[in-house]
Amino acid sequence: MTDPVAALEVRDLTKTFPGVNALVGVSFAAYPNEVHTLLGENGAGKSTLLKTVFGVQRPDSGEIRVDGIVHSFARPSDAMKTGIAMVHQELSLVPQMTAIQNLVLGREKSRSGVIDWKEARRRARAALAQLRFDAPIDVPVARLSVAQQQIVELARALSTDARIIIMDEPTASLTTAESERLFTIIRELRAAGKAIIYVSHRLKEVLELSDRVTVLRDGQLVGTRLRSDINGEQDLVQMMVGRDLAAIGVGGSATVVGTELLRVENLTVPGVVNDVSLTLHRGEIVGMAGMVGAGRTEFARAVIGADRASSGTIYLDGKKVTIKRPRDAIAHGIALLTEDRKHQSLALDMTTASNVTLMAPPARVGILNRRRQRIDATDALKPLNTKMQIDRPVRTLSGGNQQKVVLARWLRTDSDVYIFDEPTRGIDVGAKGEIHAIMRRLADSGKAVLMISSDLPEVLAMSDRIVVMRRGRIVAELGRSEANEEVVVHHAAAE
Amino acid sequence: MKNSTLTAPTERGMTAEVVTEPGVRSVSKFDIRGFAGRAARQGGLLVVIVVMVIGFGIARPFFLDSSNLMNVLLQSAVVGILALGQTYVLITGGIDLSIGSTVAVTAVCAGLFSHSMPAIAAIVGALVIGAICGLVNGLLITVTNITPFIITLGTMSIYAGLALIIAGGQAVYGIPVGFENALAGGVAGIPIPVVLFVVLTIVSALVLKYTLFGEYLVAIGGNSEVARLAGIRVGQHTATAYVVAGASAGLAGAILTARLGAADPTLGGDLLLTAIAATVMGGTKLAGGDGSMVGAAFGAVLIATLTAGLTSLNVQAFYQQVAVGGVIILALLVDQAARARKS
Repeated sequence: MTDPVAALEVRDLTKTFPGVNALVGVSFAAYPNEVHTLLGENGAGKSTLLKTVFGVQRPDSGEIRVDGIVHSFARPSDAMKTGIAMVHQELSLVPQMTAIQNLVLGREKSRSGVIDWKEARRRARAALAQLRFDAPIDVPVARLSVAQQQIVELARALSTDARIIIMDEPTASLTTAESERLFTIIRELRAAGKAIIYVSHRLKEVLELSDRVTVLRDGQLVGTRLRSDINGEQDLVQMMVGRDLAAIGVGGSATVVGTELLRVENLTVPGVVNDVSLTLHRGEIVGMAGMVGAGRTEFARAVIGADRASSGTIYLDGKKVTIKRPRDAIAHGIALLTEDRKHQSLALDMTTASNVTLMAPPARVGILNRRRQRIDATDALKPLNTKMQIDRPVRTLSGGNQQKVVLARWLRTDSDVYIFDEPTRGIDVGAKGEIHAIMRRLADSGKAVLMISSDLPEVLAMSDRIVVMRRGRIVAELGRSEANEEVVVHHAAAE
Repeated sequence: MKNSTLTAPTERGMTAEVVTEPGVRSVSKFDIRGFAGRAARQGGLLVVIVVMVIGFGIARPFFLDSSNLMNVLLQSAVVGILALGQTYVLITGGIDLSIGSTVAVTAVCAGLFSHSMPAIAAIVGALVIGAICGLVNGLLITVTNITPFIITLGTMSIYAGLALIIAGGQAVYGIPVGFENALAGGVAGIPIPVVLFVVLTIVSALVLKYTLFGEYLVAIGGNSEVARLAGIRVGQHTATAYVVAGASAGLAGAILTARLGAADPTLGGDLLLTAIAATVMGGTKLAGGDGSMVGAAFGAVLIATLTAGLTSLNVQAFYQQVAVGGVIILALLVDQAARARKS
């Protein structure tokens, strides 16, 4: 930060949407050789700030400077020309294309329209080698892991000679080991003089990685602090939330573990889930840990009949039940809150009210009672401590509020078994604490909760019992007292 | 919901603030904003229709005669009814390319039935045949999981062939007057097809907004995996949408036979494209998940107005086709621009 000229600087940036002040006079600067983290709860203005800097949206007022020169970006390509690159939260690769094709997409070297693939391959290999990419470069990227895809995306950003790299929650779907690798790469980029603007909700990694942290709240700048001036996660939380939050990671343990509620025996889904048996009791939260791709989501989907299992039996309260489709699971009181909210949980163009009541809209002889629907939705959202307009499409809501819509929907069904798949992924600390509290209350009210999560601290804090999956099997079952980070990682990753 | 444990405040003191639109009671009877937004879009179409009518009226005063205006509505009725049926399907994210051919099949059937049956039975027969055509589409689509475009492209050809086979390769004549009067007559001076068109538009709009069926179609079109995981019978509702589209084609076929006094087994192609155009102009997304019945009806009226107006100006049919196509694209451009400005 001795360098007097910031690589990227914004001054007094303001952006207003109808009814919302998304950004109010925000200023911040990122210098070469630094990792600068942007922190804030959902809806604090991070996304708007990034979009403005990257030319997706125009600010109402304020200026953006790159290397001290004022720029006005009408579109992302303008921003890219000045050396800004963005690694998106949701990957922007073409899934059917190979790593090579994706890397050169739009910048292919060609001779009279014929692409020079030899040259493309050479460029791709060089760019990827730099990032220690170890997967095949000529298979469709859809077949690569999320971590590998992210590296392709990063390589594409770097191949434009970007000096300012914006990374929006890059670790959201990575395992611990994959995240560590990414951090190594980020540190190397920093050493190479890049300015890295990093967005993450994981406070631990923010502290580990950042040189400076800028916190936004309600569209306003709370402040920018040097890492050395930050005193642990509590400090960051206080800045983000504006109050001390003793209740992050509600944790707690089961008051009373009751009788057996759900028993799954010998469940197999060819290729992904291998002979898994699991019992859930009333009153307990069972955490399910494992690497991405270990078969956890597939297990949950097979339990509720979303995917067909080749064998396996499910017992509810000791009685055998047949579940062939999600409809049957709902009828039996088994709820799955899916991991991928956008694609599996929400009809984005429908209103909040419709989404909340989707499972059982209030109706008599097929006639929908819209008034009742709004009341029901309002009631279901009430315990979730949220402000949202129930007549707007859920597309317009922040990630945290979207998750609350999904929660409200399933709480309204009053199921017995709740399976949460990555319930707090991409969600800010405040909302995370609330969701944890709800899970604990569900358990306390005699329901069984299965929590699939890649967030290890979350699993450790919340679970009364932890099962670890690896390659389609449950490889370990740990009591609360025997579980710690090393043990779980060991089981999840051991070969 | 009876889980009272969940409404207990936490140690953080959760407050319930579900904000609804300002100035409206927190739970109002109607969704005012959604209603206004939709009305604005359809109002746009209505304005265009009125401007056209006035324009044509200035150029050709007889255009404003009530009998002429009623004739325009009559012209729009068949396409309009088809457009309503197509809207159900488009909302699910599907498409029914076979409705034109279904019209041909049912027109022929209605004609043949009318020779030996009372008018009402012939009409019901046509509706049932149309519904069966739709059911075949619906089952093929939901059972095979092949995209609706391909399935209905196939049945479009099959039904067109069936129409010719049933009719013996030529038009069916000798339609009894009773049948013609039953569907092409008038009630209080308003032609029956227009009455049916208006009633079906209102009913369809209500079905879409105030029935589980409508709500589920929107959910399926918005995201069928979400709908499935929410326990909605996706296949059943989707297939039903095709049955409704087929039945609407059946009604259209019967109306055409009654109006023309003959059943032509070769009609259909034009009707299909015009119906889709009307639907899309009315604000229904081809991608599914959003649609408007009133919009589709206005779209049909707009196209009929334009065609009638150009005819009154003695514009040749060939040029009319060009003009109609241009207007369809223009309407969508304007709609897109309006939406872009709004967001």
